[in-house]
Amino acid sequence: MKRLLNWPGHSWLAVPARWYLGAVFVIACLHKIAHPGSFALDVATYDIVPLQLVNLMAITLPWIELFAGIMLIIGFRARGAALAIAGMMVIFIAAIVIALAKGLDMSCGCFASQSAAEDDPISYLTVMRDSGWLFLSLYMLFFDRRPIGLDLVLARRKKAHA
Amino acid sequence: MQTGTKSDFGNSGGLFAGLGAALQDAVLITLVAGGIGMLANLVHPEGIPFVAEKNYETLVPCPVAGGEVTPLAPDDAALRSGDTFLIDARSAEEYKAWRYRQAMNVPYDYLDPTPAETIGEMARRVASSGARRVVVIGDGQQPDSGKWLGKEISGKGIKNVFFVKGGAKALKAASGSGGGS
Repeated sequence: MKRLLNWPGHSWLAVPARWYLGAVFVIACLHKIAHPGSFALDVATYDIVPLQLVNLMAITLPWIELFAGIMLIIGFRARGAALAIAGMMVIFIAAIVIALAKGLDMSCGCFASQSAAEDDPISYLTVMRDSGWLFLSLYMLFFDRRPIGLDLVLARRKKAHA
Repeated sequence: MQTGTKSDFGNSGGLFAGLGAALQDAVLITLVAGGIGMLANLVHPEGIPFVAEKNYETLVPCPVAGGEVTPLAPDDAALRSGDTFLIDARSAEEYKAWRYRQAMNVPYDYLDPTPAETIGEMARRVASSGARRVVVIGDGQQPDSGKWLGKEISGKGIKNVFFVKGGAKALKAASGSGGGS
């Protein structure tokens, strides 16, 4: 197990995965940041978060997506960003599974609002897609021990100055 | 570019090595990004209050026992076929303003089930028309009234039910002035 964890190839394998997942999160947050009211309606439609927290979640979540996505792409505090994304994915998957279990026929709201996303209804395919992203983020968290990117540059600079 | 050495990032250790630092970073990302989001919301032209003042009016149909309904593209040739029986699920006003061919108007209400007599009348007209498929035209909203009326009638025994993807709006755009009246 230790050999698998310390295999240096993980750092290279994780680069395209980080760029892909980072881009997904950056793209996903743009509409939500531009239209917080629409995203708040999406959050409310899931009927899981108490009303007092709906707006706060709608305001903050897209920015966390943006920061985590950019940090994954540039490789800055990449494992922390991967953990933040894994946490968000767990929440999203749980929300979709609960909505599906309730039999709600609604849009995912993942990339656009309820009204704009006619072709993005929630289904078990959405759960599978999100599970794939969760798997990627966990891979980065557990296996990408030495992320190639800003983390590496900073660590080397720090070492050179020491 | 070479990947870092063990000493670049400290001990590589077991599966959970370095998770504490990652957790710390994740919390920091959440707090900083969340804080910036809240500040940005204050100057955002579409900014919203931090706490909702009233309930959101969400419209999600309650789960009802329904049957299978298949989506149909608004430019599908089946819509123009003589074998197709058309039902328009929009309101009487919307139907009056524009309708596709001789669709039967059965306004769908999310809160009230369609009366049994109306469904019976629909079934009789479908049977007497000799149609092989029923296509329901809805408002194209999310949720779509056509899809939900389709599910309802399909669950009550009408077979081979379809709904138009995008509803009347998409159908109007696809058919131009030719199909509608």
